[in-house]
Amino acid sequence: MSTAKLSGAQIVIEQLVRHGATTVFGYPGGSVLPIYDALYQNADRIKHIITAHEQGAAHAADGYARVSGKVGVVIATSGPGATNLVTGIANAYLDSVPLVAITGNAPVPLLGRDAFQEVDIVGITQPIVKHNFVVRDISDLESTFAEAFAIADSGRKGPVLVDIPKNIQEAMCEYGGKIADAPAPREIVEVTDNAIDAAITAIMNAKRPFIYAGGGVIAAEACTLLQTFAELISAPVGFSLMGLTALPHSHPLALGMCGMHGKYAATVAKSECDVMIALGVRFSDRATGNIEIYKQNKTIVHVDIDMAELAKNVAPNIEICGDVKSVLQRMIPQLSAVRNQDWVDRIAELKSKCGELNQVGEFTPQRVIETVGDKLGGDAVIATDVGQHQMWTMQYYPFKAPRTFLTSGGLGTMGYGMGAAIGGCVANGRKRTILFTGDGSFGMNLNELVTAVSQNLPLVIIIVNNGVLGMVRQWQKRFYEQRYSQTTLNRKTDFVALAEAFGAKGFRAENIVELNSILKHLPSEGPVVIDCHVCMDEEVLPMIPPGKAVDDMITTKFDMEVAN
Amino acid sequence: METVSSAYTVELLVANRYGALNRITGIYARRGYNIDSLNMITDNPDVYRIIISSKGDEYARTQVVRQLSKLYDIKEVKLV
Repeated sequence: MSTAKLSGAQIVIEQLVRHGATTVFGYPGGSVLPIYDALYQNADRIKHIITAHEQGAAHAADGYARVSGKVGVVIATSGPGATNLVTGIANAYLDSVPLVAITGNAPVPLLGRDAFQEVDIVGITQPIVKHNFVVRDISDLESTFAEAFAIADSGRKGPVLVDIPKNIQEAMCEYGGKIADAPAPREIVEVTDNAIDAAITAIMNAKRPFIYAGGGVIAAEACTLLQTFAELISAPVGFSLMGLTALPHSHPLALGMCGMHGKYAATVAKSECDVMIALGVRFSDRATGNIEIYKQNKTIVHVDIDMAELAKNVAPNIEICGDVKSVLQRMIPQLSAVRNQDWVDRIAELKSKCGELNQVGEFTPQRVIETVGDKLGGDAVIATDVGQHQMWTMQYYPFKAPRTFLTSGGLGTMGYGMGAAIGGCVANGRKRTILFTGDGSFGMNLNELVTAVSQNLPLVIIIVNNGVLGMVRQWQKRFYEQRYSQTTLNRKTDFVALAEAFGAKGFRAENIVELNSILKHLPSEGPVVIDCHVCMDEEVLPMIPPGKAVDDMITTKFDMEVAN
Repeated sequence: METVSSAYTVELLVANRYGALNRITGIYARRGYNIDSLNMITDNPDVYRIIISSKGDEYARTQVVRQLSKLYDIKEVKLV
């Protein structure tokens, strides 16, 4: 039986469908015309969402992947279309989000001749992808897609870029049957019994065990096992930003995020523990501060699927290369229930101190976030941008379930939020989705309001508007003697009018009563912008200055009079 | 961990694909590790053998080997 001949563009469609990519984000252009023509003809099989800008499409695919657990797909044309993806790809790389980015390019004979809208996107993205491909031969296209999806979604997940010159999209080739799916990429997983035994001995002898849980727990679908494990050994759990939703916020053992702006109890408990079990984390500098002090007086057991993360930033005493789920599945049956009452009491004491530090005043950003959490909470997906509002969301929002928190951790991308909220909302059945953003971050990619409007997505966009670049201002206040260089915005943007001009609904809140009233009467569909005017001098606390340690933690508000 | 810098050599089996060498040297360049010598044995058209000498302490050696092992085009990494 002969196999059908398809064009390269049709092969792209068939491979997307075969890999479950039935919703994709992108932006058309000259070098992807054949792919967009095939999308037009297959609109019943693949839903394509056009954004305002390719960066927004990349973040949307990222948000879609984080919520759905599937591989996100973004399509862009050559040249500027491709370079506009770069921030989105880097963002996915730093946060280990599975993504396949498809770019068009000039026809093969023109590659390397500086043809119109030609860039070497494979060269440009090489350090920020797990792998990338240029498909120079149509007969490689089918297998390349199988490889791309397998690489993105295996081991430590991440982005893969497939660059397809326009003539390859137009060329005809036999499809199906002859090429089986590519084998899963080689992964380095060497979980030895010795390593597991050593970890179990350390855990069973621990007086003050502490679990540090990261994005690897969520990626491995190991959240339930984490809870079992923590309860079994009565260990408090602190999180990296990526791991924050691995346990519900309300779980008695969940202490919140550790690190520079982490919760007081989490950071102090981590410094006081004698055995730290680090699961799917990479010990970022923002999480550790001074590494020498960080690892003092403790045994560190580090479990990660990526061998290169073990001993990259912090040399562990026991390293286990494997996915968190399979490692916990092996360890839990070999552990018996333990509980050190002194440690349990100490954690309770730290948590109560944490509560004291968190008392907040009237219409502060923290109060805005808590209020939105109270009124709209439930199981909504929450996205953030980057800066103070992001850290306050991490500290104050009552997260209930994994895959409900979309935030740019490793890259710290201001402008991530709008795209991520759009992608997350689509992945979550177009249910109400909340974006916490700042006036600075929102300014970066507010063009994506057009996408939220055209898709009629029920986004609630909360602008924590303090008129300044708050996080940079906080550092200028603390470390640059209040020289507020370029962080006071003076923009006078009317966000209510702006929302209305885009076809969204806009509201302004100057106090908690107004905010409550707006939240009570939210329209059931379409995007809503709520511009919350808050004080510019609120600080994210606690704060451990960069490169410092737990003893240097700042817990009290900056006192201008003392400073001057 | 030993922090004395010394010469070391890695031997790689690499799929013969566009840009593979670029990806390999990128791992060294990003961390600021100099390559002292690089040899390529191409008698097998599908899989090239690449031998790279560099200097570094135990941390650098371990990181280079582990980062190289993650490259999709690399089939085998050996510290020789």
